[in-house]
Amino acid sequence: MGKATHFGYQQVDAADKQGLVKGVFDSVANNYDLMNDVLSFGAHRLWKRYTVGLSNVGKGDKVLDVAGGTGDLAIKFREKVGETGQVILSDINGAMLEEGRKNLIDRGLVDVGFVQANAEFLPFKDNTFDCVSIAFGLRNVTNKEGALKQMHRVLKKGGCLLVLEFSKVDNVMLGKFYDFYSFNVIPKLGGLIANDEESYQYLAESIRKHPDQETLKQMALDAGFTFCEYHNLSGGIVALHKAVKA
Amino acid sequence: MLHLALEKTLNLLIANGTVSLDKLEGHNIALHVPELSLSLCFVCSNARIYVLKAQLHSDVDITLNKTAFLSLLRGAELRDLITNEEVLIHGNVKVAQALSDLFAEASIDIEELISHHTGDIVARQLGKVIRFAKKYPNNLIGIVETMKDDFSTLLITPSHSRFFNKGEK
Repeated sequence: MGKATHFGYQQVDAADKQGLVKGVFDSVANNYDLMNDVLSFGAHRLWKRYTVGLSNVGKGDKVLDVAGGTGDLAIKFREKVGETGQVILSDINGAMLEEGRKNLIDRGLVDVGFVQANAEFLPFKDNTFDCVSIAFGLRNVTNKEGALKQMHRVLKKGGCLLVLEFSKVDNVMLGKFYDFYSFNVIPKLGGLIANDEESYQYLAESIRKHPDQETLKQMALDAGFTFCEYHNLSGGIVALHKAVKA
Repeated sequence: MLHLALEKTLNLLIANGTVSLDKLEGHNIALHVPELSLSLCFVCSNARIYVLKAQLHSDVDITLNKTAFLSLLRGAELRDLITNEEVLIHGNVKVAQALSDLFAEASIDIEELISHHTGDIVARQLGKVIRFAKKYPNNLIGIVETMKDDFSTLLITPSHSRFFNKGEK
């Protein structure tokens, strides 16, 4: 086995993780939005709105939404940048990108760009975007440090990176409830609604393996960002890291 | 949360063309209010402003008392504050003056902003929306979006300042 990494609680060869994650998202793509609503009780919409609210994105800006999946953030960013701006939705997974394309077309948004790309190798020039976002995607990336460096590279000076991701709960009681919910309820709901208990077991496990708030902050700084701050949402279930290339 | 509210307000005013960032572009300004245990860094880049709690290398360091801070945000003349020895400036005074000019153009309602620290978040959020509505009566979509944003903020971040402070680094 080559360099090892985690896939949920499993140790796997780093070269295999991408394919395993692809399998998960190929499986859940059709029910992704529905499951997000059910599992988070709709809170993911509020977390995403908060993210876009903190972006400082305005008319005419260029925004890249990495691992943008079904397009929730891209839709909100498109409203912000207007017709003079540009939003590109990228995702490594073709099935998720297809769901995103459908969602945007359903809303009459035909000028958002779609790029199937690995976050570790973004096919964009240096200093291109005013804002780069990645929501609930970074924990699935094999080489997170490499992805952060790529996002730093494609950002303009003065641009900001927004990482919305599950994180470490900062309250003991909430943590106990959250653990029970994650490992006993989420997989069962995944089986019931999406007929895929295994993928949602991976979801719960991958959250626990993801770097905590302070670690991710340091990773962003190590990737070259001038500063990074984070905001715990819903008691730390989710954290929004905002890093700026100043 | 004060810094986020300030950042959002300033960027809204920059986007609307109410204030200009031209003289501050590319500059970092540190502002300290020891009485409030408040240290902010204003980073002006890419035609927007970031207001941070972090300490960064800055072109100018401004230290002032609480009264002077409130006066500055209300648009008081920096030179008057200096004359009254309410402000200490280390570094590029022109940049400090440009920040002061920015605040003067913005006429920020600081009482509304810091009402957050008194726990009166709802009043603050509604106040922002009402002021926005008064300022831009024709921009109904913008008002609705602002209300949604503010309502989201209220829902996902508990209303105790202790929690807010704990959640931000």
